[in-house]
Amino acid sequence: MRRNLRIFREFFRTCLVEELEYRSEFLGNLLSSLFGIAIAILTIQIFFFQTDQLGGWPYADVLVLLGIFNTLQGLIDFALKPNMSRLLQNIRKGTLDYVLTKPVDSMFFVSFRHLVFWRLVDVLLGLGLVAYGLWVKRYVPTLSDLLIFLVTLFASLVLIYALWMLLMTTAFWVIKIDDLSFVFNSFFETTRFPIGTYRGWLRIVLTYVLPAALITSTPASALLGNWSVGATLITVVVAGIFLWLSRLFWRYALRSYTSASS
Amino acid sequence: MLHKYAVLLRMKWVEMFEYRLASLVWVFGAMTQPLITMLVWMNIDREASATFILYFASLIVVERLTTAWDVWELDREIREGSFSYYIVRPFAHVHWAIAENLVYKLVFFVILAPVWLVAAIFVPALRLKLDWGQLALFVFALLIASAIRFLFSYSFGLLGFWVTKVTAIYGMLEAISLFFSGRIAPLSFLPPVIQQLSFYLPFRYMVGFPVELLTGDVHGTAGDGFLLAIFWMLCFLALTFALWKRGLKKNQAVGG
Repeated sequence: MRRNLRIFREFFRTCLVEELEYRSEFLGNLLSSLFGIAIAILTIQIFFFQTDQLGGWPYADVLVLLGIFNTLQGLIDFALKPNMSRLLQNIRKGTLDYVLTKPVDSMFFVSFRHLVFWRLVDVLLGLGLVAYGLWVKRYVPTLSDLLIFLVTLFASLVLIYALWMLLMTTAFWVIKIDDLSFVFNSFFETTRFPIGTYRGWLRIVLTYVLPAALITSTPASALLGNWSVGATLITVVVAGIFLWLSRLFWRYALRSYTSASS
Repeated sequence: MLHKYAVLLRMKWVEMFEYRLASLVWVFGAMTQPLITMLVWMNIDREASATFILYFASLIVVERLTTAWDVWELDREIREGSFSYYIVRPFAHVHWAIAENLVYKLVFFVILAPVWLVAAIFVPALRLKLDWGQLALFVFALLIASAIRFLFSYSFGLLGFWVTKVTAIYGMLEAISLFFSGRIAPLSFLPPVIQQLSFYLPFRYMVGFPVELLTGDVHGTAGDGFLLAIFWMLCFLALTFALWKRGLKKNQAVGG
């Protein structure tokens, strides 16, 4: 674990150096991030023009939720997304061999090697929106709210990583598509709104099968003071189970990987 | 000319089949956002569920049938220099783009129409109550809409002769159009200011107007809608011509 952290720091450094080559892009990227979050907030306002709650959540709470969504989206675009197309290419061309022969954990390497730093702007904007939502609600989270929030947020990150890897690993069989991330995006978009927005079987699926409900709704409720120890434990356990599954699937996929050519 | 077009269409048709998996992704990947928006609206106003189902189903179909990706293509071709190959060909670049658009939209239609018909068996809200005249008006509006969207996208792509990063600006306009094109909600659910702006801006005539005709709930009169739609189509047509003429002079091929 310690070693992986050191290696991650090294990835971080090399990618930062790489990105600093293109400093002039920064302003444009900053503008597009600001623009993106503005559009997201306007969308929420359009909905609240017709109603005063979404899935049982009032305006301020939905802003907090949207802030968390933006933060997580930023983290995905920062660390996970840049690696997707490279893994697909590695598998297609057989250059995954070079990864497998390195003395690092292969799953760790393929998922974090490439980082896109300016996406961290989205994380900051998201956190800003969370703070703004709390201000609109005039709610100051207690220390225990904050603690549970951090625990559930960490569990969400683990869950996102696990689901992402489960999808990415299918690339060993579905090599014809350039980009599988749209499948993940379609799923992730559902977490933009409170889980109460969905009804019927879709809600059941998004709660128990693909736990979208845990990803944004749980940390947001925690920060707003609506948490229970039981629900928090369930979130952590579910995240752990999914991480274990993705690990298992990755190992299984590697066994069926035959490299390319010869 | 017609014969040449037939050849072009066949070429693009074959090309499309090379990427059939990617094409399917194109059809179904674009559905998520409208579907989620629909669910949110159904949650806000339960009584109007049937209206929202019909509206957003129409939106998905119209969106796919009018979509244009030429700005990305042109941007890449101009930047990488492969645009030059088209200049020496005896057939203007725009015809290749038109042929590609026709082929893909035909495929989208062939995929989506049966899906709609099957869905209509189970979901009564999807059964259309249009007479032939209304259907004809819808098809007419749909054709104008895809022409406007194509010309809009294409003329933006031509700006690539002068500006790099046109796709970034185009992406921003697409995002803004979310509110004015009827993508986020039927026009009558939006705040009055946005309703008025939508009426005059081109975005409604790229997506929302045909959808309104299909669902039978037109905002204002259909006549005014067609007038503005045709007005915007002519504007973008003129713009495309002007940019094409000036752009060719400006063009400097990249590469050896």
